[in-house]
Amino acid sequence: MAANFWISSQYKELLDQEEVDVVHQLDKEKGITLDDFKLIKLHMSNYVARLAQNVKVRQRVVATAITYMRRVYVRRSMTEYDPRLVAPTCLYLASKAEESTVQARLLVFYIKKLYSDEKYKYEIKDILDMEMKVLEALNYYLVVYHPYRSLAQFLQDAGMNDATQLTWGLINDTYKMDLILIHPPHLITLACIYIASVLKDKETTAWFEELRVDMNVVKNIAMEILDYYDGHRSISDERVNTAMSKLAGR
Amino acid sequence: MGDGRGNSNSNRPEWLQQYDLIGKIGEGTYGLVFLAKIKANRSKSIAIKKFKQSKDGDGVSPTAIREIMLLREISHENVVKLVNVHINQADMSLYLAFDYAEHDLYEIIRHHRDKVILAINQYTVKSLLWQLLNGLNYLHRQDINWIVHRDLKPSNILVMGEGEEHGVVKIADFGLARIYQAPLKPLAENGVVVTIWYRAPELLLGAKHYTSAVDMWAVGCIFAELLTLKPLFQGQEVKGTPNPFQLDQLDKIFKVLGHPTLEKWPTLVNLPHWQSDVQRIQGHKYDNPALYSVLHMSPKSPAYDLLSKMLEYVLIS
Repeated sequence: MAANFWISSQYKELLDQEEVDVVHQLDKEKGITLDDFKLIKLHMSNYVARLAQNVKVRQRVVATAITYMRRVYVRRSMTEYDPRLVAPTCLYLASKAEESTVQARLLVFYIKKLYSDEKYKYEIKDILDMEMKVLEALNYYLVVYHPYRSLAQFLQDAGMNDATQLTWGLINDTYKMDLILIHPPHLITLACIYIASVLKDKETTAWFEELRVDMNVVKNIAMEILDYYDGHRSISDERVNTAMSKLAGR
Repeated sequence: MGDGRGNSNSNRPEWLQQYDLIGKIGEGTYGLVFLAKIKANRSKSIAIKKFKQSKDGDGVSPTAIREIMLLREISHENVVKLVNVHINQADMSLYLAFDYAEHDLYEIIRHHRDKVILAINQYTVKSLLWQLLNGLNYLHRQDINWIVHRDLKPSNILVMGEGEEHGVVKIADFGLARIYQAPLKPLAENGVVVTIWYRAPELLLGAKHYTSAVDMWAVGCIFAELLTLKPLFQGQEVKGTPNPFQLDQLDKIFKVLGHPTLEKWPTLVNLPHWQSDVQRIQGHKYDNPALYSVLHMSPKSPAYDLLSKMLEYVLIS
């Protein structure tokens, strides 16, 4: 498992888009739409990344934390599992799983520093309680494979080393969507390389053909990433706040 | 897996109702182990490992997280089987339920040494060793797992009691195990590794980037112990943190295997303790090191050949 995606729990647990795009009944009753649902997850992904910058953990920890958060909401409601608590808790858990443990009190310190809003305010005890609930919601599956892993090798092979930074940034942005729940990570890597090659006007058709992967899937992932850039170039805080306010206060 | 909804009104959380608790069977630094039977299937015994709540307000211990993380992904006949995870919100404790294995190599060795006063049958030794290696090969294989166990010792090698799997070896206790590939930090930074009697010389010398070879060294030590019923290198542990220099343990090894030489092991100079302790390390000269005489076995036997290769200072890849 630890070295082979194809026999991992992640591969066995991959979902279809339709399974991911389900708003939990309890959240529906509060008026949360599918757009709200996606927007809140996006906002929380950004939250995890901001917190991570402050507590100084690597991108892999951020990616694992966001994956945990997105997996939680496949089965659990935001009404019962407040995203403002689940997000930092996932970062906390991911830091342990990825062997760069961050102390809970440090997280609490930065949460207070980043958000003055009462609704974001949680104490150490809250994070520790939620940690167990998140573990359970994840069904104790904690190993996550990420698209970063195969990036260097692919770029080298495609003769696109000059696109490393661009592709790395594209991969970071894929965590603003649910792609990691739906696709094998190396196909996400290839979609990002595909976009980079188009942006850099680099001819890669032959290289992709030799890979013998399903180019339709790669192109569909690429389209979804581009759609995201079109639709979310500017998400106003207001829209996020409106969506969040539908989830009743604590 | 478990439903986790702890019931704070009674001492017995709901998930525990599916088991009959028989009693405490073990205690470690991580917490306690209980023996239980599944009510629905009385013939099935389960070992429940309860993790202590971490004291400093830092939630589920990283050791428990990593053990669960690995055990949820692996599955092999010679690796212990995690059958369930339970959480108890009321007291914030975590329980891992395993298929119960009645015996372990520590107990089997002690039984033969103190009760039977006779060596373990060589066919039994061969079978135990083969199964141990079979499980370890599964863990080490770089195309599947690439996991280094890091704490192999007789008490972590279990053997199934009467039942369908009677005599089957199960590698247990993955609390120190690590995925070797692309760790974010050097593996040695995660604290103490491997009980000193089974600790490989590169670790004793302060290596930071070690490999699955540390497990093979431990297997060599265990193999010898199965043959002689005595720990092969029984050094006095130096207590203290972090990772004090274990001169006596190294001395015990060199007494039997001789000093390693820079010729055979050129990277020795990079190991912290070799540089700073070179005088002390080489304090004794052992001219007549002989593993086979310690083991009372012929240097020509295949068992000796295998064992001596497990105890090579430098991994021949």
